[in-house]
Amino acid sequence: MIQFDNLSKRYPGGFEALRNVSFKMDAGEMAFLTGHSGAGKSTLLKLLMLMERPTSGNLLINGKNLNRLSNSQIPMYRRQVGVVFQNHQLLLDRSVFDNVALPLQVTGYPASEVGRRVRAALDGVGLLDKEQQNPMALSGGEQQRVGIARAVVHKPRILLADEPTGNLDPELSTEIMALFRRFQSVGVTVLIATHDISLINRMQLRIMRLEDGELTDDGGGYGGY
Amino acid sequence: MAATDNNRDANQRGASGQKLSFSNRWRAYKSHHRTTLRTSFNKMLHEPLQTILTVMVIAIALTLPAALYLTVDNVQQLGSNFESSAQITVFVQQGAKTKAIQDLESQLTTMPAVASVDYISAKQALLEFKALSGFGSALRYLEDNPLPAIFLVQPRVEGEIDLAETTKVVEAIGALSVVDDVQIDMAWLQRLHSLTEMGHKLVLALGITLGIGVLLVIGNTIRLAIESRRDEIIVVKLVGGTNAYVRRPFLYTGFLLGLLGALIASIMLFSCLLWMSSSIENLASLYQSQYRIEGLGVAGFFTLMLLGAVFGLGGAWIAVSRHLRDIEPK
Repeated sequence: MIQFDNLSKRYPGGFEALRNVSFKMDAGEMAFLTGHSGAGKSTLLKLLMLMERPTSGNLLINGKNLNRLSNSQIPMYRRQVGVVFQNHQLLLDRSVFDNVALPLQVTGYPASEVGRRVRAALDGVGLLDKEQQNPMALSGGEQQRVGIARAVVHKPRILLADEPTGNLDPELSTEIMALFRRFQSVGVTVLIATHDISLINRMQLRIMRLEDGELTDDGGGYGGY
Repeated sequence: MAATDNNRDANQRGASGQKLSFSNRWRAYKSHHRTTLRTSFNKMLHEPLQTILTVMVIAIALTLPAALYLTVDNVQQLGSNFESSAQITVFVQQGAKTKAIQDLESQLTTMPAVASVDYISAKQALLEFKALSGFGSALRYLEDNPLPAIFLVQPRVEGEIDLAETTKVVEAIGALSVVDDVQIDMAWLQRLHSLTEMGHKLVLALGITLGIGVLLVIGNTIRLAIESRRDEIIVVKLVGGTNAYVRRPFLYTGFLLGLLGALIASIMLFSCLLWMSSSIENLASLYQSQYRIEGLGVAGFFTLMLLGAVFGLGGAWIAVSRHLRDIEPK
């Protein structure tokens, strides 16, 4: 599903964020991406979102080379991807419902379909009763869950999460990881960037470690799995 | 277990957003346009001061050239009322033989550019002068009739008067025998013509200048709107919104601003005309004229609305194409 092929990213200032990164993820696979801040986690996710383009090397999604996508094809590509942001990126001028509905409206779903799917997504994160509230009125954990509902409402094939448990207590983190597991179980490829070691240790998942832009470790978890 | 997984997989694919039917898409597209129009309008209502200021600037910028256009138009109409009286006076040489005068008359009537010819003999002219001028008693001291015989020639006028053509006619008449002099009272018409021509150019220049002003004002308003919705634009782009989708609400806002500005401009023009019409009718009645001032009319109203909408869209388009590109998720 996701294939990085000897990919490097150098920013205009000369900073090399990623160096010769190669890895593969199958459809329905779930993995952690870890490393110190500045190691290149965010850059890797940005490349997957086509917010950045690689300097060299190829990035293949479902066998298709993203380098060949023109700028006008980017929106169509992004509709297959769901993203959960650390700072949740919710819009505070509209209700929870309207926030979650955005990916569907953008794609052109009829209103009835939008309502059905948004409620299903909110139900999935346990926030069905909050649909008419403003995100500002919610707790941090609830906001993060709204962000997750928005990331999955259009049933993407790839789900990316950037520090999804960044500001949450362990209990909420576990809850959110359980959510991700559910999506994985229906065939979504899930990649979670985090440096929450305790979270990683609790889950038996593939771990990819970035150090100074290089993929140094790719395999089983810590603590001798 | 494997079967369940397969089912789930099928569900997942079946629902994966990529297979929306065209009619569904079209309906959603239309409904998105409707919602965008509504939300754009609501957003404008939420910032009433900014909206009113922008709309008023647009309205004034549209009213000024439109008012000038109406003035020029009315003056031109006033002029065309008098154009039919563009009469050519042909003075016959003193002491011309009756035969020569009759020849001249037939020559004049057969000219294709001439509509009608009236002959006023020297005697008739003298009688008329006595009756009208009040110098009748003074004329008794004159031995001879000092007045020449004249022909009043009405040129054929179709629609607008053609000054060059009329001048040619005057020259042709002047070349005929026993014609002493040809006069045409057209100088003031000529002046009126060049005045209205100048007026039209002024309307155009003012229209272009203020049109650019309208573009800039709308562009600036839209730029502020874009700036205040930066977060929303970024999120919409991240979830796969196309540039057209992101552009749409701003284009609608510009369109609405322009349309509202044009509407207010029409209302201002209408009230202005209403306010002036009684004094203009008074003035016209003093001149025993049936003259009525011409307003914008239905066609003019729609033209103004169209112009407002086009300027609104144009200004928004300029702002959007300049500023939206800078806003990319980072």
